[in-house]
Amino acid sequence: MTRVGTVAVNTFREALRDRVLYNLVFFALVMMAAAILVGQISVNIEQIVMITLGLSAISIIGLLISVFIGVGLVSKEIDKRTLYALLAKPLRRWEFILGKFAGLALTLTVNTAAMSAGLFLALFYVKHSIERADTVVLVAVYFILLKLALVVALAMLFSCFTTPLLAILFSAGIYIAGLFVHEMRNMQAGTIDPALGGFLRGISYVLPNFENFDVMGAVAHGRAIPGALIAQNTVYAALYCAIVLAVAMAIFSQRNLK
Amino acid sequence: MSSKGYIALFLFVLLGFAGVWRLQKCIDGQQSAVANEDDQVMLRSSKLVKGLSLEYAPLVADIYWTRVVQYFGNKQAGKQLDLRLLWPLLDVTSVLDPHLMPVYDFGSTFLSDAPPRGAGRPDLAVQLIERGLRANPEEWRLYYDLGFVYYFDMKDNAKASAAFYEGSKNPKAYVWMKIMAAKIAMEGNSAETSNFLWQDVYNTTKDPLVKQNALRHLQLLQAEDDRKQIDALLDEYQKRFGRRPVRMSELVQSGLLRAEPEDPLGYPYILSEAGKAELNLKTPLRDKWIKAPASK
Repeated sequence: MTRVGTVAVNTFREALRDRVLYNLVFFALVMMAAAILVGQISVNIEQIVMITLGLSAISIIGLLISVFIGVGLVSKEIDKRTLYALLAKPLRRWEFILGKFAGLALTLTVNTAAMSAGLFLALFYVKHSIERADTVVLVAVYFILLKLALVVALAMLFSCFTTPLLAILFSAGIYIAGLFVHEMRNMQAGTIDPALGGFLRGISYVLPNFENFDVMGAVAHGRAIPGALIAQNTVYAALYCAIVLAVAMAIFSQRNLK
Repeated sequence: MSSKGYIALFLFVLLGFAGVWRLQKCIDGQQSAVANEDDQVMLRSSKLVKGLSLEYAPLVADIYWTRVVQYFGNKQAGKQLDLRLLWPLLDVTSVLDPHLMPVYDFGSTFLSDAPPRGAGRPDLAVQLIERGLRANPEEWRLYYDLGFVYYFDMKDNAKASAAFYEGSKNPKAYVWMKIMAAKIAMEGNSAETSNFLWQDVYNTTKDPLVKQNALRHLQLLQAEDDRKQIDALLDEYQKRFGRRPVRMSELVQSGLLRAEPEDPLGYPYILSEAGKAELNLKTPLRDKWIKAPASK
């Protein structure tokens, strides 16, 4: 586990060196502009606009980092031939994959935490106070983090056996499909062929369901999120990540790096 | 990796997905408590959506159209009467792609039909078709849709006749449209005309939802006709025996009927307390029953 931790910490450092956290400047600018403008262009929905805009920005920026950096984690090491030096050390391939995943997850956590702080500052500017009920926003932020972890795992899986461009396309494709799982499951008989409907319902349970993590609407309107949902989503993300990473490790272990 | 390793990986993935499946069912239960109860169309401004769609407006229209079909299908399956969003969805779709003809066919039928079959907004159906006519003046079928709405839902025979007549000027239009224009102008609303029009929709439409709707209308017309005939026999029974029967079997025993009559779905008709023929309480037709359709 020490070796996994070492890879993780170095992945985090590499992300800092690559100026990944510069996106925070962009986020800060968006939130400042929104905080100033929202009062001028909206009536009675300032808080809702701030929360939905802030959470959307956290999600979009996080997704871009997850896909583009996640895909590059393995392929960059192979292209630069730094992987050979690493694997010559007492480091197993699965430890390398797990460490890279943990490193990017750490980067995303730090990044998301910083953006969340920015969101709360903007909220404070608009409302002149932060109430206990506002902390429900943190649940949405946590769900975004779970979603990002799942996307990183998928991006790493695809980067283990295909080119970076295809890995990005596959990851984006699975993510988009995962947003329509509910639609797939509820296609009504009469509007779709029954066999196709059954097939779609079947794969809707196998695809990662990214709708599970979408509580932005509820949170923006101050509705509480049940504790059971938080627990189930946590287990869901952990289990799905474990499956995807296990497959990624198996593929990477068998990959011919010559 | 050894063969044992592969087997272990396979089992892990299999069990993992079984766990994911089970968890998803639990999450679905929790999500329903969190989800907004109201349906939402996030972007209702058709102009805004068109602007945001850039050069991909027809593609976005297709996506909106899919949403319309799923929205209506889900509402029908859940027996929900509230179809408030049908119009905004159709409005956006028809602005994004004014040449998407199913929008007008489908939209006019389900916007104009009274609840529970539709949204009960024939005025919006007319607005939609008129928009379609402005964009597709050569489409005679839109006049047919317009005549349909005026005839069945707005009971405006003059406008229905005018719409059928206008459409009949197109050489590709049904030959009978001109005849229908004259017939409606002369006789007004009749069961025979209604039956003819719905039968034509049933025979010509390719949309399964529209076809199903036409079939249900035909069944309701048939049921209405049956009820009238049974009521006439009940009156006859009263003349002969000085009282109204309390069971349908009494009509059979008296020789006025050969067997107990059934509705088009096979459910036997029943007698109301007033001694009139009624639809069986169990028949699905009862859910769609509003009043005697086109029974003037």
